Amino acid sequence: MNKELEHKFISEFQENQNIIHKVCRIYTNNQEAHNDLFQEITIQLWKAYPKFRGDSKLSTWMYRIGLNTAITLYRKSKRTIQTQDFDTVLHKIKSTDYDNTEEEQLKLMYKAIHQLSDIDKALIFLYLEDKNYKEISETIGISEVNARVKMNRIKTRLRTILNP
Amino acid sequence: MDELDILKKDWKKQDANFPKLSYNEIYKIIHKKSSSIVKWIFIICIAEFLFWGFINLLIPESFFTIYEKLHLKAFLKITYILHYAIVVVFIYLFYKNYNSICVVDSTSLLMKKIIKTRKTVNYYVYYNIIMTIILSIIVNIIMFSDPALLNEVMNPKHVPIDETKFFYIVLTVHIVGLLIMSGLLWLYYKLVYGILLRKLNKNYKELETLDI
Repeated sequence: MNKELEHKFISEFQENQNIIHKVCRIYTNNQEAHNDLFQEITIQLWKAYPKFRGDSKLSTWMYRIGLNTAITLYRKSKRTIQTQDFDTVLHKIKSTDYDNTEEEQLKLMYKAIHQLSDIDKALIFLYLEDKNYKEISETIGISEVNARVKMNRIKTRLRTILNP
Repeated sequence: MDELDILKKDWKKQDANFPKLSYNEIYKIIHKKSSSIVKWIFIICIAEFLFWGFINLLIPESFFTIYEKLHLKAFLKITYILHYAIVVVFIYLFYKNYNSICVVDSTSLLMKKIIKTRKTVNYYVYYNIIMTIILSIIVNIIMFSDPALLNEVMNPKHVPIDETKFFYIVLTVHIVGLLIMSGLLWLYYKLVYGILLRKLNKNYKELETLDI
């Protein structure tokens, strides 16, 4: 692939790299796993870039490839499997450590998000990114009604985790 | 304030905390090799095509003389031509499905296409197994319907042997062979699906049940 395209990609990617960091934030829970997934998504973006025509926004295109890589294409390395164990250990001590400050609530919230299924994570991610249901349903490939129903379930689930 | 609003507020704040990768760092990343499951599926599928292709080449020459004695040479020739025509169709379908995999599709469509590509190769393997079984049944029926011929083919040195006993030995060998082959295949698929496709299948099922 030519140098010009490579330069254009890297510059555009550099501007928008936070989108991918955010995907990694939802799907991984330590730095190593974060970097691993970040790398795979970046490679997938670069591989798909020659076909990117600009008929959709670059950010929308990045959301899709980011989520698709995290949910479907990415194979967890051994490192990430170990951190999952770490996450469950944290989960077990959660109830005794409960404290109602905002920071504690956030910690619990992120922990709860890490326990969601891959699909639920995608939904909550798009919700946090202020995407409307039309865009959510198109990204995941489910109907708008089902996206709404599912989202409400996830929200209720997250709330009950915080207010048992 | 609702807990989810707190989360949303925090989510928007975090941008500043992320590391900013430099031009050079990104450059290095895009020159690394991907390890996506699509790539692995592609490698495994090609290996399966080659494996079943080579198995045909491994059949010893002496095996074909059996067919000659059974007057099945013409039959074998036709089956071979048919077989290779079918293989070409399978390779074309695999190529078509693999090429349609697009990382920008919606999540459910992407999964559907990956599963479809994988299934093409599964059907190819099933086809090979079924064809082997059918061919061996045909040959066996012809052999067993003519005891003189059977003796000639399986026992060319004319060692004296009880005919019923002989029948059972051949039958047992066939069944045991079939069982071992199915066992190996089962193990292989358990491994391939267990390691590579468990996550994909699980997520796909979740999406499917969601969209009923």
